[in-house]
Amino acid sequence: MTRVLSPVAGRVVGLAGVPDPVFAQAMVGPGTAVDPDRAPGQAIAPVTGKIVKLHPHAYVVVDAEGHGVLVHLGIDTVQLKGEGFTLLAAEGAEVDAGQPLVSWDPAAIEAGGRSPICAVVALDASAADLAGVLEDGRVHKGTELFTWS
Amino acid sequence: MSERTVKIESKVGLHARPAALFVQTAAKAPMDVTVGRPGHDPVNAKSILAVLGLDARHGEEVTLRAEGDGADELLERLQRLLSQPEPESA
Repeated sequence: MTRVLSPVAGRVVGLAGVPDPVFAQAMVGPGTAVDPDRAPGQAIAPVTGKIVKLHPHAYVVVDAEGHGVLVHLGIDTVQLKGEGFTLLAAEGAEVDAGQPLVSWDPAAIEAGGRSPICAVVALDASAADLAGVLEDGRVHKGTELFTWS
Repeated sequence: MSERTVKIESKVGLHARPAALFVQTAAKAPMDVTVGRPGHDPVNAKSILAVLGLDARHGEEVTLRAEGDGADELLERLQRLLSQPEPESA
């Protein structure tokens, strides 16, 4: 079973709260989303495993069970081409859950007219594989968002 | 075996949004479907994890392969998806 941790501190809004239909309709996969606190911060690895993809605005970590979790920092943030994001790890690295991977400033994303909401998505999973999915409430960085079995 | 090589027109490459649409279309097909970049091993086109890991960028070419009844029609649909230069903030 994989425990998936919140990459950021903030308010849980669920995937339905993501202002992008592809995430909101769980087309990328099931999961949840967090509206981050508007302060500079470091987004962490949601699981222990290997960083198989590391973009400034999004990353995928795959754990020992082969479960891949996508963290997408903000919506349409790919357009920023990395501006405002600093990578704190390297693609291909083995990381521990909770390890900082990207530093960014959600307030700056919002000031640029984009939503900083972070989608946390279980890749190649069905909704039935997830349990205890948080849909609301406040979370700290590292709070468990759901389990995946 | 049906095969075709397609240039990725999506400005953001084959990432979250285009990748989800692509995988969802592939996953509906009964047969195996792969997508590959030149010089790399092809990956399962029905896996969002594999397709995101492929990291195919705007302007790059990928090769789609499928075999069996309906393979050509499927590849046609997938090609159409990849050929759409959809706006970055669709």
